[in-house]
Amino acid sequence: MKLVVLFGTETGNAELVAEDIVDAVRAETEASAHDMADFDIAGLTPDALYLIVCSTYGDGELPNSAQPFANALREQRPDLSGVRFAVFGLGDSFYATYNQGSRLLAELLGELGARQVGEHGLHDASSGELPGDVALAWAKSILSQL
Amino acid sequence: MNTPSIAIVGSGPSGCYAAQALRKHWPDAQIVLIDRLPVPYGLVRYGVAPDHQGTKAVSRQFERLFEREGVRFLGNLEIGRELTLDELRAAFDIVLLATGLDGDRALDIPGERLPQVYGSGRLTRLVNEHPDEAGFSPRFGERCVIVGNGNVAIDILRLLLKPLDHYQGSDLADDLHRDLLSPPPREIHIVGRSPAAAAKFDTVMLRELAKLPGVAFRIEDLPADGQGDAKLDALRALAEVAPAAAERRVTFRFGWQPQAILGSIRVEAIRFTASQDEGALLLDADSVVSAIGFAERPGALPAREQLAGPRADLERGLLDAGLFCAGWFRRGPRGTIPENRNDARLVAEAIIASVEGGQIACGKPGLAALPDELLAGRVDYAGWQRIDATEQANAAPGRVRRKIRDRARMLAVAHAHPHGE
Repeated sequence: MKLVVLFGTETGNAELVAEDIVDAVRAETEASAHDMADFDIAGLTPDALYLIVCSTYGDGELPNSAQPFANALREQRPDLSGVRFAVFGLGDSFYATYNQGSRLLAELLGELGARQVGEHGLHDASSGELPGDVALAWAKSILSQL
Repeated sequence: MNTPSIAIVGSGPSGCYAAQALRKHWPDAQIVLIDRLPVPYGLVRYGVAPDHQGTKAVSRQFERLFEREGVRFLGNLEIGRELTLDELRAAFDIVLLATGLDGDRALDIPGERLPQVYGSGRLTRLVNEHPDEAGFSPRFGERCVIVGNGNVAIDILRLLLKPLDHYQGSDLADDLHRDLLSPPPREIHIVGRSPAAAAKFDTVMLRELAKLPGVAFRIEDLPADGQGDAKLDALRALAEVAPAAAERRVTFRFGWQPQAILGSIRVEAIRFTASQDEGALLLDADSVVSAIGFAERPGALPAREQLAGPRADLERGLLDAGLFCAGWFRRGPRGTIPENRNDARLVAEAIIASVEGGQIACGKPGLAALPDELLAGRVDYAGWQRIDATEQANAAPGRVRRKIRDRARMLAVAHAHPHGE
């Protein structure tokens, strides 16, 4: 099964996390990372597992690079039944809107019939932990559950 | 393949993001990030507020440049002073200037030179323990007026209001905070030129203020309409914070243009006129903080305009053959860290295009062309790691770091040889 990591980012942290995940699993699984801004939602198919890696920006909004992806989903409302995804959010618990961006995307995909697998992973920028470390542990646990 | 040697002057976010993009394209190019300070990351370390560690955490991303991707750090080297820009250009195929803009924009009104008028950039560097501000000791008095309505103005407001026990997890220097704010001002006005709905600060910055204890907020000059506007709603919500014992009062004013700071030997008041009509506003004040943006200030490097050659194309960051600029130094003092990431990537693309298009001949040796005596006494990444480790080890309880403020001490720590070396 193919792994497609889709990242939505403002500062680039989510992009590095996505690349870390791909580097770590590439030996065992076909995997690739894509900026959501460059990803056509017609490419969301049941033959892959989508790992959504997304930050939150401003007052609980989606980061810039995730917005065209979310807008396309809202406007075209494709039937995503059979599509599976897992979500890893990057946020800062300092703010009340902690990780709202990744939750927005998870809800949107769920509404359209896609199924979320595994736990919703989270990295807290205020924790001092490296996002890549937290995300890799999360990705391993997701893959082991498949 | 044509692979250039690249020197980036300034190791703040724009320089680091440019290095990322250039490294992605040229895995083997020599890329050197130069900083006039012995420590990297510029604005992330010295411009982002000490209690915004989540924002500062972007430096964890930049660490990878040095730790995994072979980018070199060359700290404690000021281009224009210890090495001329021409000499640097003679050594490297590409020189990218990403030195930012750290001068406080002037208010340009009478009274601006009174001693209790402080620039927000200087204040921000002071609370971040920038070595250049060691001798700066502002006094706010009982009544302070902040001029400006951007995020930096809110950072200053929060600094003046937030008690020490709310700085858990920050890298604030407690003694510095005590010196600065004993006693804290009790009456603060924050005054912007634009109407409230057009104020530049982010809504999330306002929400953060609502958590501060013992502060009563008053919001003046709000429009009667505008329900549902997130920023106006957040302002109205602030006004509803009504602590039982308010020790300090903050008043937001909108639509006022500063005209003069009054006082003969010290600040006594500041006078505004309405941006929209003939109205006037006079506020008594013991101090004034200007937070109206940033500008170039005379430094070691020539001004950007003087560096632009006949084929300069500022839109793409091109100043002259092999000489580029990025970030605030290119675009002016606008935009957050993410916007300057896009800026740095755009300039990196222009650099790549000019090398791939054959406009720049590659082959200059880079670091190897610089004299040994110039490189002696500089700080490399391992030296910064020693400073970093020392600062983290020295953190007070509840703090993540205690910065070394003194430049000579930074150098001593950077150059100390660990056991076994």
